[in-house]
Amino acid sequence: MQCPILWIHGEALGPANPALQAYPGRPAVFVFDAELLAGRSPTTGDPADATPQAVSLKRIGFLYECLLELPVSLRHGDVVAEVLAFARAHGADGIVTSAGTDPRVEGICQALEQELPVEVLEPEPFVELDGKVDLGRFSRYWRRAEREVWAAASQEQ
Amino acid sequence: MAPDSLAGVALAWADQPGDLPRHFESRQALEAELRRLFPAAKGNLSPIRGGRRQAEALLSRIQPARYAKGRNFLDGHVTHLSPYIRHGALSLAEVRDAVFARLQAPGGGGRQAGEKLINELGWRDYWQRLWQQLGDGIWRDQEELKTGHHPGAYAADLPADVAEGRTGLACMDGFIDELHETGWLHNHARMWMAAYLVHWRRVRWQAGAQWFLRHLLDGDPASNNLSWQWVASSFSHKPYFFNRGNLERYSNGTFCRSCPLSEQGCPFDASYEQLEAELFAPMPSVRAGNDRSRERRDPRRRGSPAASAALSRPTRRR
Ligand SMILES: Cc1cc2nc3c(=O)[nH]c(=O)nc-3n(C[C@H](O)[C@H](O)[C@H](O)COP(=O)(O)OP(=O)(O)OC[C@H]3O[C@@H](n4cnc5c(N)ncnc54)[C@H](O)[C@@H]3O)c2cc1C
Repeated sequence: MQCPILWIHGEALGPANPALQAYPGRPAVFVFDAELLAGRSPTTGDPADATPQAVSLKRIGFLYECLLELPVSLRHGDVVAEVLAFARAHGADGIVTSAGTDPRVEGICQALEQELPVEVLEPEPFVELDGKVDLGRFSRYWRRAEREVWAAASQEQ
Repeated sequence: MAPDSLAGVALAWADQPGDLPRHFESRQALEAELRRLFPAAKGNLSPIRGGRRQAEALLSRIQPARYAKGRNFLDGHVTHLSPYIRHGALSLAEVRDAVFARLQAPGGGGRQAGEKLINELGWRDYWQRLWQQLGDGIWRDQEELKTGHHPGAYAADLPADVAEGRTGLACMDGFIDELHETGWLHNHARMWMAAYLVHWRRVRWQAGAQWFLRHLLDGDPASNNLSWQWVASSFSHKPYFFNRGNLERYSNGTFCRSCPLSEQGCPFDASYEQLEAELFAPMPSVRAGNDRSRERRDPRRRGSPAASAALSRPTRRR
């Protein structure tokens, strides 16, 4: 991609965001996701609940204050439509973002890909674990992870 | 510019019509603007400010050894980093590295001093990995409940007195006010509230989880829903519950001193065995008969005689 725009989402509102690191200075956008803030997405509400309630103002304010410290334009509405409009306005040939845990991020990337190429960059993990990780209980995960985390600590010295 | 003003960092590209403002005279002005832009969003701004600068200030104050000793106490030293981590103002990897650097500095205490804090960061990573695996299934019971109650026995909605913070219990009403006003709660307070709602009030954990997600600045279906499931027992071997002795100890008695139910009527004022009998129905498969060896197999009883439970519970959390 020669001139992509960056889509910043709510899991990566800091300088460690790999999209901001890989493409410093490129136009970047964050969209306040109307559906999510209305409590109508599994990120904020039980999908089985028939009467969703909106996320409180303080959560929006917290995000807003994080965003003011980043070089990013702010929009409100449907994320896919807003990101694509932003890309068009900047004559972008693609969209770069960071991988998220929330399945909603993946869903949005798939929709964006219908229009433009999307590059998804992985943030630095807390711990790198190869192969299948047994997540049945924390203790099983931690038996493996603890060793790896501390091995990284001693390399730092 | 007023000292209180909030200005976004400069952008290297032009604004478009419909962009949200990035400059405010004051935090109050930001609040007013957000009310206008998001009319469905209730309440006020939190006294907790967002942003990387705040996050770095908190990060510079972490004390891993003090954390390990005091993290279960409401007034113990905890990091308050969760909202910043949740939204990536700080990455978990950055926090990890900051902890390592602190441990390796003179007087830092080395690995031993940092094990507890690193372990807690591990909990976040663990829940995140599970979310990735479960997707939206994170809203469903992961296992059957071990409370002896049918899932249908739990109310679907948050009771009004809980939603409004007027349960009459000084502790719960205090926590509810804090949740609503600040959007942050100590881990122990979250556990007590979840246990109260699910076990004493017999409400579906999903109703509580959803309520928390509306308010918590760190609200995240991974840590939140799976912690609720851990309390409810749909993601653990036994339900989590507590008694007055436990709450009083880890809150230094602050709530009980001013509670109208302190002398009489506190629903938590009992031994673990009494509460267990009151809150949970016998699990037919594991508790039939009087046979002691069978009783020991009841997951809720394993290794937790009532006398020491008040002390041992908090470390066997989640
Ligand atoms: C019912 C319930 C709901 C919860 N909901 C959330 C939530 O929505 N979002 C959230 O981030 N945490 C949640 N937690 C976990 C925990 O309570 C908070 O992460 C912690 O209290 C945040 O305060 P702190 O940053 O001072 O934590 P510290 O104790 O200082 O820990 C440092 C960091 O480690 C991580 N961490 C610590 N304890 C836990 C834990 N038990 N589980 C997962 N991560 C942990 C957090 O990222 C935290 O910021 C919940 C716990 C319960 C019992």
